Amino acid sequence: MSHKQLPPEFYQLMEDLQAVDFVLVELTLYLDTHPNDMDAIKQFNEFAKKRKRLKKQIEQIYGPLQQFGNSYVGYPWNWDDTPWPWQI
Amino acid sequence: MSSNMKYWHPYISPFDPCPPVRVKRYNTPPNLYMGFQPYGLEQFSPREALHRGTLWPALFSPYESPVEANMKKGMRE
Repeated sequence: MSHKQLPPEFYQLMEDLQAVDFVLVELTLYLDTHPNDMDAIKQFNEFAKKRKRLKKQIEQIYGPLQQFGNSYVGYPWNWDDTPWPWQI
Repeated sequence: MSSNMKYWHPYISPFDPCPPVRVKRYNTPPNLYMGFQPYGLEQFSPREALHRGTLWPALFSPYESPVEANMKKGMRE
């Protein structure tokens, strides 16, 4: 399927994904030094679940975000379709 | 944030070619004063954290360029 133009909500979802990813990175680094902080662990799992949901929504619009089995792929093989990440 | 600012006065020689900078300042990061990060610190919202570059306001310490500050104040140091 040719990507004529990505819908605006796609960009909104991508920004949310970036924000959630950043929070996950920060929490990972925090939890490395605070292994028994229960609230942070709960928050981490909550954000991990939120990220999965976001990724699912994005991939319905955009296609696979990652390769090597990290994302489902459509038929025909579409991970090399435009737009590439830098063309979004 | 800017409370972590430190100042020092460089020696000004009579033979300095350029107008002297009387006060030099540098900002010290907040984690110096925090030591081991306490539990349950207040957090930014995800979007805000992404823009600010950290999840915790206590660790947020941007670089405030003195030049811009002066330009805004409109005075020439």
